[in-house]
Amino acid sequence: MSVLTIQGLRVAVGGREVVRGLDLTMRSGEVHVIMGPNGSGKSTLAHALAGHPGYHVTGGTAEIDGVSLLDLSPTDRVRRGLFLALQQPIEVPGVRLADVLRAAGVEPRGLDARIRAEAERIGLRPDLLGRFMNVDLSGGERKRAEVVQFALLRPAFALFDEVDSGLDVDALGAVARRLAASSQEWGCGVLVITHFARLLHDLTPTAIHVVRGGQVVTTGGPELAAVLEREGYEPFGVPASDA
Amino acid sequence: MVPFSESVRDYVRAQPDAAGRLAALERFGALGLPTASEEVWRYAPLDAFDLERYVLATAAPTTLATSLADALASVAATTIRLGDGFVLDGGRPVPGVDVSWLPAPVGPDLDFYASDAFSLLNAAVTPGVTTITVRSGVEVLGPLVIACAAGATASFPRVHVVVEPGARAVVIEAYEGGHESLVDMVGEYDIGAGAALTLVAYQRLDHSAWHIARTTARLDRDARLNHAVVGLGARYDRSRNDAVMLGSGAENVLRTTFFGSGDQVHDFRTRQYHVAARTRSTLLSKGAVADEARSVYTGLIEIEHGARRTDARQTNHNLLLSPQAHADSVPNLEIRENDVVCAHASSVGPLDEIQRWYLESRGVPRREAQRLMIRGFFLEMLDALPPAVAELLTRDVDAALGALEVAG
Repeated sequence: MSVLTIQGLRVAVGGREVVRGLDLTMRSGEVHVIMGPNGSGKSTLAHALAGHPGYHVTGGTAEIDGVSLLDLSPTDRVRRGLFLALQQPIEVPGVRLADVLRAAGVEPRGLDARIRAEAERIGLRPDLLGRFMNVDLSGGERKRAEVVQFALLRPAFALFDEVDSGLDVDALGAVARRLAASSQEWGCGVLVITHFARLLHDLTPTAIHVVRGGQVVTTGGPELAAVLEREGYEPFGVPASDA
Repeated sequence: MVPFSESVRDYVRAQPDAAGRLAALERFGALGLPTASEEVWRYAPLDAFDLERYVLATAAPTTLATSLADALASVAATTIRLGDGFVLDGGRPVPGVDVSWLPAPVGPDLDFYASDAFSLLNAAVTPGVTTITVRSGVEVLGPLVIACAAGATASFPRVHVVVEPGARAVVIEAYEGGHESLVDMVGEYDIGAGAALTLVAYQRLDHSAWHIARTTARLDRDARLNHAVVGLGARYDRSRNDAVMLGSGAENVLRTTFFGSGDQVHDFRTRQYHVAARTRSTLLSKGAVADEARSVYTGLIEIEHGARRTDARQTNHNLLLSPQAHADSVPNLEIRENDVVCAHASSVGPLDEIQRWYLESRGVPRREAQRLMIRGFFLEMLDALPPAVAELLTRDVDAALGALEVAG
């Protein structure tokens, strides 16, 4: 059993503080969902946790079982247990997924077969993963390629930044079921950033967090999704610091 | 030891076609070796170059490095083995393909190389022209390999590939060996109407060698040349690759990739010459230099009056992997026609930080991410090859890049 603890996290991007004192705690096997309007700091949180060079943590802590992630290199963050699936996966010409996974320390025996099986599981044509990373892939294919990486890396915690955008209804269901299964298969803690409650048809959240102005303003159970769908983010107000 | 110039004269006089060779040698003597004060040679370490210290190859050597040739032979339709430019093995017959050895060009044919000392020297002393003809309409499935191994001498291989109208073929030239050698190569490629040639020049000579290559492709109507030039070896690696689009609709795709370490110099020069209308050229040069290595890329797009609706593009990316490494990029355009599309872009800098972070965030250590990205330059080039060949050359690139250390 592991625990991911984020406390008072502050992140600046381009000289502007976008995440402003965010708190979130989750345990192995849980599914947490972050929802919030555009510009509320969701993607900034994700990039900062993964150590993207354009995002600067200006305060607060992020730990797995007491080990500070913020002191680790991007490589060691994922090896310590936090994986980020990007909203806009990056093209790396000349580099193939299998080579990346081997370099990341994934068991090389039978790797190609495991990649194929994970791709088929979420309706992605396996031969697309033989191409250079994300090159000549559609938006939806890239998203699913991130899910394949996730499934092979088997991190303790995984953050999915708008994994649902660009996916059709069938692909969305398959991806949601894959994420749900991961919590059973290896006790993965799944943190999903989304705008759409539809993802939650096949993925039952432990908690939903509403983020506004770079802070968590409300946390609730699965029932919160329906409220958000009906009434939007307005009723949840803005953080005290903005009022 | 007999000085190089003396042994050249003796060798030439003893050849059955001595008259033509002597003419080439006279031209070479009159022109003289280039000096670093000439703009096109300013990056060559000519101060440290002494032609007289080389021994002219006058026969096929007996011991050679052939590991690359042996590996390629396992996936090739045929493998022609040259040792210091001499034929060691003419390969096995391939239906629709003729292989022969012809005397070097003389007289008017030499005018083309009038200002190029190393090509004139090649014409004087080459053992002969290895000539491959792919007959009209023939599609050769496996690659035709010309494996050039060099011993510790000066050698002058010469290649001529003719792809007749409507034919298709893959030709791979591989260079290996050559400790303390000079390899002065000349290649010509004639691609007939509607024909297609995929051509790979893969150079991984010993890091003490001088490699000087000059290739010229002539493309007829709707001909296509997909050309990849890979430079891994040699102390000084000079590769000039020209394509002349003589027939309308002809297309040249040229990709060059190099990796330099130690004090290597990679000096790449290209000329895409558009003579006919509706011709296209795409050039992508990507290379990396580490340690104190340097690279030069000089590319010329030349568009003749009347070559309407020509589309010519050049892109050059240079990676600097250490503070002492240096890269120069010099794109040039000469356009004598209005109705054309031309573009060039070039960059010199470190590895893409975001791409590197992306690989790191998948759990790849930084050093390994950098190695994968640089290796990627080469893999991109090999992507168009038959999978078995691409796999083999990927393993070879891995061996060459094995010791890669990147600062930062």
